[in-house]
Amino acid sequence: MSASQSAVRSRAEAVQVSRTFDWMILFTLFTAVLGGYHIHYMLTGGDWDFWSDWKDRRLWVTVAPIVSITFPAAVQACLWWRYRLPVGATISVLALLLGEWINRYMNFWGWTYFPINICFPSNLVPGAIVLDVVLMLGGSMTLTAVVGGMAYGLLFYPGNWPIIAPLHVPVEYNGMMMTLADLQGYHYVRTGTPEYIRMVEKGTLRTFGKDVAPVSAFFSAFVCIIIYFLWHFFGRWFAKTDFISDDAS
Amino acid sequence: MKIIKDKVAKLSFVALLLSMTAAMFYTPTASAHGEKSQAAFMRMRTIHWYDLNWSKDELNVNETMTVSGKFHVFAGWPETVDKPEVSFLNIGIPGPVFIRAGSWIGGQLVPRSVSLELGETYEFKVLLKARRPGDWHVHTMMNVEGGGPIIGPGKWVTINGSMGSFVNPIVTLTGDTIDLEKYAIDSIYFWSFLWYAIGLAWLLYWVKGPMFIPRALAVQAGKADTLISAGDKKIGVAFGLGTIIFVAVTMGTTNEKYPVTTPLQAGLMRGIQWLEIPESTVHVKVEDATYRVPGRAMQMTLTIHNGGDTAVRLGEFNTASVRFLDPDVLEDESGYPDDLLAEEGLTVSDNSPIAPGESRTVNVTASDAAWEVYRLADLIYDPDSRFAGLLFFFDADGNRQMSTVDAPLIPSFM
Repeated sequence: MSASQSAVRSRAEAVQVSRTFDWMILFTLFTAVLGGYHIHYMLTGGDWDFWSDWKDRRLWVTVAPIVSITFPAAVQACLWWRYRLPVGATISVLALLLGEWINRYMNFWGWTYFPINICFPSNLVPGAIVLDVVLMLGGSMTLTAVVGGMAYGLLFYPGNWPIIAPLHVPVEYNGMMMTLADLQGYHYVRTGTPEYIRMVEKGTLRTFGKDVAPVSAFFSAFVCIIIYFLWHFFGRWFAKTDFISDDAS
Repeated sequence: MKIIKDKVAKLSFVALLLSMTAAMFYTPTASAHGEKSQAAFMRMRTIHWYDLNWSKDELNVNETMTVSGKFHVFAGWPETVDKPEVSFLNIGIPGPVFIRAGSWIGGQLVPRSVSLELGETYEFKVLLKARRPGDWHVHTMMNVEGGGPIIGPGKWVTINGSMGSFVNPIVTLTGDTIDLEKYAIDSIYFWSFLWYAIGLAWLLYWVKGPMFIPRALAVQAGKADTLISAGDKKIGVAFGLGTIIFVAVTMGTTNEKYPVTTPLQAGLMRGIQWLEIPESTVHVKVEDATYRVPGRAMQMTLTIHNGGDTAVRLGEFNTASVRFLDPDVLEDESGYPDDLLAEEGLTVSDNSPIAPGESRTVNVTASDAAWEVYRLADLIYDPDSRFAGLLFFFDADGNRQMSTVDAPLIPSFM
């Protein structure tokens, strides 16, 4: 067989090879994003995502969407502009969550005995689905950044509320009031994470009384728009094929 | 020649694999918390722990024990470590093998960070509830913002039983009794995996058809718009709107289920009560101090003035949690960890009682292998070569007075 001859001899074979490539690329993409996104999120979101007593209505709501919209934007750029596949955000978030759950279950619980109810990962799926849907319907990076990015930030807190609400039930403990999440952080000893490292309820956002979460979510949503643009361009840049010679085709 | 080279390469690879496999089976127990690695000057000149008591050496899962005692916040706090204005009373254990059921400084519960005053002494207590079986090294510990963890003495404690039987019952302010160990875990799994399944469904919708090669070819051929059908858009709208509605509905039902929730609690606790200790009537001046490297001994020349009304003798020098005792004056009966106790480690050139009003200059030697074992000898390599510690004087009735020392240290290599 010469180099110019095709490796497949029928349409059925071509389809089969194409599907095999699909699964190989999907698996590779999924695991590569899992690794890269997981490290990125651990370094930037870190303790806010690790511990229930960091998941507050002010900084967690602000930080987590901003630092997590990065890879979804970049992977969307590649999958949409090259393949018209509106799954970049969802695939990124599912990869991240798989890695996080493996980490939390095997390491946090299996290795260091923290119960899962103190170290579960945040839910990012609702925002990711909406981000993909907006891109698919609009076909525009700008529209996705503005509408999708904002939705990504705004959906984060309500999307997580069913998970964290039980842990925000108050308790009186030795004469002090705290939430069950605070009590978890106090009970389950972390020698390397003293209480003062915890960045919760800090800041000057005091004029809205108790309704801080929506304001934080809106701020986060605005920043998500900017971060979306930035990382979308990163994704486009990484998805370039300039290094492949035209002769190869 | 090539065959030999191949064989050598093959055998080398096998040897490498065997070494790696053998290394995996060698898993010695990590049995301490790096306290010996912490810079000696930090352990000597920051927090001095004393009068410590571990209430139990052995207990069963669900039983409690206390670690209690006093700590003195040293007035000569090193410049290179941030002051303890934001500190947290921690406990040095390998993860949550106990839960911290309570911790108090000066009788005040301290679940949050506190502000400590230099030169003051505080009483503390940590209540621990056994959770995971094993032999655990339980240290006192103070985290200082900008300074890091300052670890105190550790003692081995054995927990027997099974972690499966551990319970952590809590009564909430809404009147429910819950087991915090397992509380809401089912709900966390349910919501997390339900949303994962919804995300997976969206992904599978697109994975079921041809993905990369045919779609890339279509995009290159300028037919990108044909790749998203009207049906795809309907499904997309259903997923998008469905997601937003589902989030709104579940938030509403959650608020109905948990009508009373509060924000996380945070804040620095000031005004922690220190111990009111009468000012010591024994005054100590360090004339000079040397550390003799070959002898593993520190020698001090002290001028001691007894301004009290009873005669006193020097019984103990305590530095970096190592206690050097003069057995003629003091014997430890508290069960202090052996490796940190030099029962005959303190020698005083003239340790006869110092009468009231008398001043005496004596040579004091604190010698023990602990200088090396606990790497206190590394003090001579520190950026600020000073030593510090607590001196305890006793009168004939056993009454105790505490004085602090803080002075430059000159190493002697001969």
